[in-house]
Amino acid sequence: MSVIAETLSPAHAWQTWRPSAGDQWDHRKAAHLYRRAGFGASRKQLDEAVALGPQQCVERLLDACEPGQPDTAAFDAEMTKMAASLAAGDPAGLEPWWLYRMLFTPAPLRECMTLFWHGHFASSAATVDSAAMMVTQNQTLREHALGKFETLVQAVSRDPAMLTYLNSTTNARLHPNENYAREVMELFCLGIGNYTERDIQEAARCFTGWEIRRGKFSFNKHQHDFNTKTIFGQTGNFDGDDAVRIILQQQAAPRFIVRKLINHFVCDQPVSDELIEPLAVELRDNDFHIQPLVRRILTSRFFYSSESIGQKIRSPVELAIGLLRSLEGTVGTIALAQHLRPLGQRVFFPPNVKGWDGGTTWINATTLIGRVNLVTKLMQNQSVQYAGSSITEYFDRQLAESDEHRPAALVESLVELLLAVPLTDTAQRELIALAKHNRQDLGQAASEVLLTLAALPEFQLS
Amino acid sequence: MSFTRRRFLATGAASAAVVSGSTHVPGMLLQAAAAQSAASSTERVLVVVQLSGGNDGLNTVVPYADDVYARNRFETRIGAGTVHKINDYLGFHPAMEGMHRLFQEQHLSIVQGVGYPNPNRSHFESMDIWHTAQPAANRISRQSGWLGKYLDARSEAGGDQSGEEVLGVHLGADVQPLALAGLNVQVPSIGSFDDFRFDELGNRRLEAVRERLIAATSAQSDALVDHVRAAAQTALASSRRVRQAIHRADSSAEYPRTDLGKKLRGIAQLIHAGLATRIYYVTLDGFDTHSLQAESHAGLLTELSGAVTAFVDDLAKTGHSKRVLLACFSEFGRRVKENASRGTDHGAAAPMFLAGGSLRGGIVGKHPSLTDLDDGDLKFHTDFRRVYASILEGWLGVGSEPILGGRFKPMDVFA
Repeated sequence: MSVIAETLSPAHAWQTWRPSAGDQWDHRKAAHLYRRAGFGASRKQLDEAVALGPQQCVERLLDACEPGQPDTAAFDAEMTKMAASLAAGDPAGLEPWWLYRMLFTPAPLRECMTLFWHGHFASSAATVDSAAMMVTQNQTLREHALGKFETLVQAVSRDPAMLTYLNSTTNARLHPNENYAREVMELFCLGIGNYTERDIQEAARCFTGWEIRRGKFSFNKHQHDFNTKTIFGQTGNFDGDDAVRIILQQQAAPRFIVRKLINHFVCDQPVSDELIEPLAVELRDNDFHIQPLVRRILTSRFFYSSESIGQKIRSPVELAIGLLRSLEGTVGTIALAQHLRPLGQRVFFPPNVKGWDGGTTWINATTLIGRVNLVTKLMQNQSVQYAGSSITEYFDRQLAESDEHRPAALVESLVELLLAVPLTDTAQRELIALAKHNRQDLGQAASEVLLTLAALPEFQLS
Repeated sequence: MSFTRRRFLATGAASAAVVSGSTHVPGMLLQAAAAQSAASSTERVLVVVQLSGGNDGLNTVVPYADDVYARNRFETRIGAGTVHKINDYLGFHPAMEGMHRLFQEQHLSIVQGVGYPNPNRSHFESMDIWHTAQPAANRISRQSGWLGKYLDARSEAGGDQSGEEVLGVHLGADVQPLALAGLNVQVPSIGSFDDFRFDELGNRRLEAVRERLIAATSAQSDALVDHVRAAAQTALASSRRVRQAIHRADSSAEYPRTDLGKKLRGIAQLIHAGLATRIYYVTLDGFDTHSLQAESHAGLLTELSGAVTAFVDDLAKTGHSKRVLLACFSEFGRRVKENASRGTDHGAAAPMFLAGGSLRGGIVGKHPSLTDLDDGDLKFHTDFRRVYASILEGWLGVGSEPILGGRFKPMDVFA
């Protein structure tokens, strides 16, 4: 696989993208931004976004994530109340709760980031087996989603679900448990090849005495090793927070985080080291503050280039929530969680501590069939509503407000809303023919086009 | 994918009829399936069982008579009185009664001390190494797996005469293992046979459009689109083939009602039905036993032994066992000395199992020394790529060098 670099120089890639006559800010670009940073947007939201301009749109997405925002605060309070009642039950009950949150949140970017961190600091309820602990972890990831990475790692290092998941609820001085120390380097902060087995063994000593008792973190000073340790050449009487601080001082740390975030927001293809470096330097200079990094990525030339648009495969959750948000759909999220299961992404149940590999690994024969069938179910199930009506009535209303009623225009507008890349000529001919078949009833035509659109490979791209 | 896709397109119209119609199957296709069944009945089959998480080899094939074992395993020791004895040094874990019997019947071989140089103790890295047989490469350059390369080679050699045959199958809802990733052939992952079909749309016209959109090719090439398109075309072709096979299959044999039992039962059904699939792949997860190992490990070995035994017995009854080889591995073994949580940490060398009706049986290679260790871990003496070479050359009948990227001497394991 070639590495992206040829067409984008590092200096050019991260400059703020400015629309021009040949490269306009339009519905397609706005839909790209919302697909990547907000689980998709409806026609109405895209109209607003186009009027607002790209940078203002990003600011709006970021502003909504601030805890003081009245809409966000009210929604959060409602969600917290719901979580409290779910905490005593089966962890599987949390899936619909989070899907509901993704579907209706006024701060979609924060949910995107929370889902990202869930894959990064992956713990599975299948092992943890406690809804209360999983909710606490989820709230921790959300609280720090756009904050300081070091604070987030320190919170995760004390997180009951994480330590339970990694068999690290006790950690004795005489037999340090290496599991957490290994994952914090390999998967959370540095990546493989950027530490030695010796660094892991020494860091493990720093975390001794960090325990989970009755579902809460506690420090057991009798089990903590107070002798000096040497990690990455630094020697001292370090504890777990020191270990995290020293790990994040390594050159590899900001590069690792930047690479993963670019991979999340920009493209599935690996990105060259040269493209990583400027943002890695910036992240370190910003004291590992995530929000400015996200802003930088989402406003960049790279993000709006052809190296990014359509260059990701949507995750199953992004696919389902994206389709529903784009069509103002409401659905019982218990049923939605059921439909999502065979697709390979169950929230709260990642496959292992590495999270979901993403990219092309999302797609195989079974998950592809599952994706097509999911769209069929969302379109045909009577209990799914689109702005309060059936999908056909929804399009009837949209069309009534529009002065464009040609079948070709209908197909074009659906593609603009739901696809990241243009149709091939063959597909376009097929879909226009399909729309023409129902020329007298364009609402019906739209819902039929949607059903078949899902079978296109391009539909799986973001 | 070019070959598969071309052949697929040639029969696209017929396949569209089968999938969208409910019960009517064109006679031409039934004949093709019957011919396939007859032609494929002598094909050799490989079934890979992956034990994910790092299986504790020492507590699987136990050196029960070794004092060093007893000294290092205080909480997790398997007592000499409980093992199924192989000889006066080794015995199977108490949960592995079935595999012990297979061993006695020479339907099971144990390959001891399998690993690779500079063992990596990360699950993901070590699993990638086993999947790609490329210990020295980095993640980005590991694009295809050893079985994917085999399937690519076979497809290029024109082995797939029908064009839409399912050469490999991954059974399971987990992510498809990198071992099966080919550059040209895409292997279907099947989570459940029931869900392995496109929902009907209640409208033939729409279904026909859907089929045509999936089957359509594009002049523009984009890596992601190509990948998704290949998956969709694989899904369309293989969902029909697999459902036909399952429909035909005899399902009288008894299997344990475990996840692995169900998967191996499904594979046996596909084999019995004459599907021309040569590679099947399943995983059993949970072997990362850092704490309270005894109970969970016993449960996993019960599941493994029960399912493998039922599978080999089933195939022996139906006369297929001579053409089926099952190979079982894990990404690494575990440390000789147990940890403080009554568990064991990531280690290195461990035994592999081969099962089936064409084996010499017995133990291949010595048990690694429990005192001459590599940073607390057992040293390997048999590179896993030698086992792969044995399978590729001695079983699947292809040269192993292009696939393994070097010469690895095959072992004398087949009867």
